[in-house]
Amino acid sequence: MQTVQTEIAEIWVYLSGSPLLALFLTLAAYHVGVTIYERMGRNPVYNPVAIAVVIVAVAISVVGMPYPKYFEGAQFVHFLLGTATVALAIPIYRGFAGLGGRVVPLLVALLCGGATSIISSVAIASLLGADGQIIGGMYAKSVTAPIGMGIAERLNVSPTLTAVFAVCTGILGAILGRFVLDAIGSKAWWQRGFALGIAAHGIGTSRAFSVNKEAGTYASLGMGLNGVVGAVLIPLGVKAALGT
Amino acid sequence: MIGGLVQILFFQGLGELLSKLVIPLIPGPVIGLVLMLVYLSVRKTIPEGVDTVATTLVQHLGLLFVPAAVGVVMFLPQLRANALAVVTALVVSVALTVAVPALVLRMMAREKPNADGAD
Repeated sequence: MQTVQTEIAEIWVYLSGSPLLALFLTLAAYHVGVTIYERMGRNPVYNPVAIAVVIVAVAISVVGMPYPKYFEGAQFVHFLLGTATVALAIPIYRGFAGLGGRVVPLLVALLCGGATSIISSVAIASLLGADGQIIGGMYAKSVTAPIGMGIAERLNVSPTLTAVFAVCTGILGAILGRFVLDAIGSKAWWQRGFALGIAAHGIGTSRAFSVNKEAGTYASLGMGLNGVVGAVLIPLGVKAALGT
Repeated sequence: MIGGLVQILFFQGLGELLSKLVIPLIPGPVIGLVLMLVYLSVRKTIPEGVDTVATTLVQHLGLLFVPAAVGVVMFLPQLRANALAVVTALVVSVALTVAVPALVLRMMAREKPNADGAD
């Protein structure tokens, strides 16, 4: 009996020391998240990333695996963020193809949207007394998470908080976007899509695609451009505002 | 498919290199993205392998930031202490960020008197 227990313990030590457990947990949790999301008719409330994060967080605390140890194994997934960022060139390139003469209005809208996102979130969080680390996580929250985390690293603010706020922003944008756009009387699909892509990046984009193809294409363009322009302007803007 | 991955990794590497040596402010992968965009614009088509790999990666973008987002467990007490500020900032900010670009686009699209009908 004792040998069996020691054997199990040894296997456990071996497994939790290799990246396999963390990788399996990450992929399995995401798979469950996607399955629930599909079953629920792609309702943005059941966001697969949010579900996966909760599952992994609960699982590692149940087995007593410290977060840094989990991340050590899951970093192989994390590494692909950079590769996926480069891959975003493809949807942006596709979006450019159907632009027509809308470049100038789109760029102006993009700059106004990006500025609105940072200024409003930082101002509200500061007014309500949030601490500096939380406010730092707001800077890149409307930028797609892979790029947003890169921006956060450059600004020495938490990439984790940025990713978490980005996911929450995406979910909120996908849920609330329609009502906001109806309230201000926005009708054209390309305008609605582009606004949703700027505010709610990938999650808003998949929402836009599920409503209308033109809205989706413009949303992915808005998301991509917000990423590229944000990567340049957010660090410059924040550094200028903080006087560093 | 592997050829596509090689090309994407090549641009990522090039981007990292330029980020290290020339423009440290911009994350390497973003520079890689821009270089890839330039490459596609010159080439005028998307190589099939690149398309396959990129579509897969972008489709499952969410999976890739799960490991980082799980780090939220380390911030739970802090988030709880700042809950009101965080929730208010996120909700109001996202509503404004949807509204402002949509309003700007509507105003600017109206300025050009019926560009579609003029042709």
